[in-house]
Amino acid sequence: MFCIIALIVFSILGIFSATHRALALEALDCVFRRVTLRPCNTGFKERAKNKILAKLLERSEMAARLFNKHFELLSWIFFILMITSTFWVVKGGYNFYLYGSCNGLNQSGFCAFDPNGENNKVTQLNNLGICSPEQQSEKNLTLNGVDLSTFPKINTDSKNTIVFIGCYECDYSRKAYPEIRELAKKEKANLIFAHYPAITNTSYLSTLNYCAYNKNPEQFWTLNDYLFAADKEKLFDQIFIDQALAQFDFNAAEINQCVNSAETKAATGAQFQELKKTGLYGTPTIFINGQVFVGPKPYRVYRSALKKFIFF
Amino acid sequence: MINLEKIRQDFPLLQKPINGRKTVYFDNACMSLKPLSVIKAINEYYSDYPACAGRSSHRLGAIVTQKVAEARKKLAEFIGAKKTEEIIFTRNTTEGINLVAHSLKLKSGDIILGTDKEHNSNLIPWQILTKKIGVIYKALPSKSDNTFDLEKFESMMSGKIKLVAMGQTSNLDGTSLPAKEIIKIAHQHGALVLLDAAQTAPHKKINVVDLAVDFLAFSGHKMLGPTGTGVLYGKKSLLENLEPFLTGGETVEYSTYDDHKLLPIPEKFEAGLQDYAGIIGLGVATDYLRSIGYEKIAEHEYKLNKYITEEILKIPKLKIIGPADPRLRSGIVSFYIEGIDSHQIAILLDETANIMIRSGQHCVHSWFNAKGIKTSARASLYFYNTLEEAEIFVKSLNKVMKIL
Repeated sequence: MFCIIALIVFSILGIFSATHRALALEALDCVFRRVTLRPCNTGFKERAKNKILAKLLERSEMAARLFNKHFELLSWIFFILMITSTFWVVKGGYNFYLYGSCNGLNQSGFCAFDPNGENNKVTQLNNLGICSPEQQSEKNLTLNGVDLSTFPKINTDSKNTIVFIGCYECDYSRKAYPEIRELAKKEKANLIFAHYPAITNTSYLSTLNYCAYNKNPEQFWTLNDYLFAADKEKLFDQIFIDQALAQFDFNAAEINQCVNSAETKAATGAQFQELKKTGLYGTPTIFINGQVFVGPKPYRVYRSALKKFIFF
Repeated sequence: MINLEKIRQDFPLLQKPINGRKTVYFDNACMSLKPLSVIKAINEYYSDYPACAGRSSHRLGAIVTQKVAEARKKLAEFIGAKKTEEIIFTRNTTEGINLVAHSLKLKSGDIILGTDKEHNSNLIPWQILTKKIGVIYKALPSKSDNTFDLEKFESMMSGKIKLVAMGQTSNLDGTSLPAKEIIKIAHQHGALVLLDAAQTAPHKKINVVDLAVDFLAFSGHKMLGPTGTGVLYGKKSLLENLEPFLTGGETVEYSTYDDHKLLPIPEKFEAGLQDYAGIIGLGVATDYLRSIGYEKIAEHEYKLNKYITEEILKIPKLKIIGPADPRLRSGIVSFYIEGIDSHQIAILLDETANIMIRSGQHCVHSWFNAKGIKTSARASLYFYNTLEEAEIFVKSLNKVMKIL
């Protein structure tokens, strides 16, 4: 048992160190002998055991005695622990590749590949009165009963649908948006964009968004890309907004008039109520063919979901 | 009294800590450390006159020839041989014994008598001959305390015994046999005597003339000399009648396409290019040993062995192989504890306190197998070891035993 553990451990360490490579070879010889039903007479186990024992003896006589007495049992325990941890490491790596988190889709918690949890971060909604963890669960997220017909959309004849709910001024939405746009472009997927003003003073951008799309659906997407790429501070600058509208062939005066109309306010208010039905608790929240992704995931995650790779 | 402080300065290893700790070298029965004078002599050969002896007439060749001749003379004096040609340089004791075994013209039915605790070097060559030409090998049982049973030996001696081949000092337990009496009895029965003196030469004065021994082999590496060096002593009259074991370059006076004429001893036994650096270094090693003096060496080893023996016998279940009296065990303390792997003891002493001892069956597998003892740990001392080191050994062994 000890030789198997040593082989695995020293093989990994051997990638970085020649000394451990030699030990790995010795362990391999030992394992080979055991597998071929021959005694492992290389003395490897004894030497390795006694090296550990000597280190322990320098620190604690009792620990050394227990280690020596229960060496086989400890070997088994460590073997099981190693197999278990190896399983979790592999699972973590698999999860990270597919979901952007070692712990599974939308699951926070420590992940060595994403130590700061960047792939799960969201801009919390502070205008919905949602506080409890139960409410802030991706299990409650749904598109069932949500009317998205009035939101901007592209490639409507595609069988794949991506719903992006984000806000212009939110960092994580700004991080995820380009990935989603690129994916929608490459895969010609139906993309529905919903601006959710997670930060309250950006509500006016919902009305701008509504008006721009209704006036010119094709140019809307260019304007949208521009707003997501622009400095956040400028999103509050009316001159900047007007210049942006003009730049993309919108009539700023006409749009501003639309923005201020009661009809627009009623429509965007209705949109806001529809979005609340999704149960979202932060932005970005992205639905890809019904599968929900909370927080900005790496591009491969979105692509895997769209391509229906294993487990999606 | 040995001036330990001064002596230890001569051994580089003793000045070099490993992992911040001093090295306690107690594996001298396997290999001794080398003093600076020996190392210097070897270096000088390679740097100042790295030439051939005998065959080259240039000045460097002449220096090597002279140095090798001087070394041979030193070795002859070292064991009390009267004639330098009785000294044959070998690679080690094993080669010396093999030379005798293969050159002695033994025939089927000849009996070779050894003891029950011979080193493989003095057992396997005879076992090979039993299969090859039908000689008979017999092992003389030791007394219950592992010492030599002279009475039993005398009773076993007969005219059929052609050769008595025995280890003069055992590498297993350090006991020495009564060589002079054995040789006398053997000669009375017409048998020749070959002594394996590998463990004797480093610790005791040898006088081959006084012993009247026929052949005596020992190694350089156990007596401060370089590795790959050894000596076979043989009485001139016997050596002259032996066929060489190895032949070739440096062994003949001349050769034609059909014939050759062998050189006289010792050259006829020293085939091929010799380890000149080693031979010269071995000569210097004998100088060093003589400068210390064997009486002082024996007394110092006894002092250390006595301390260690008394202290480790306090460890429950520990058994020392050989007689209880440390004076009978030279510098060797070989011990085992039932149920505990000696290799584990050795590794732990090394890992915890830089103490180098030997563990296993010490090339005396036959004895261990006969006794049903798996292995033993062996601490073997030499004159440069100190009482402080012995104390460290005892303390560390006690510490290790607490966890095993």
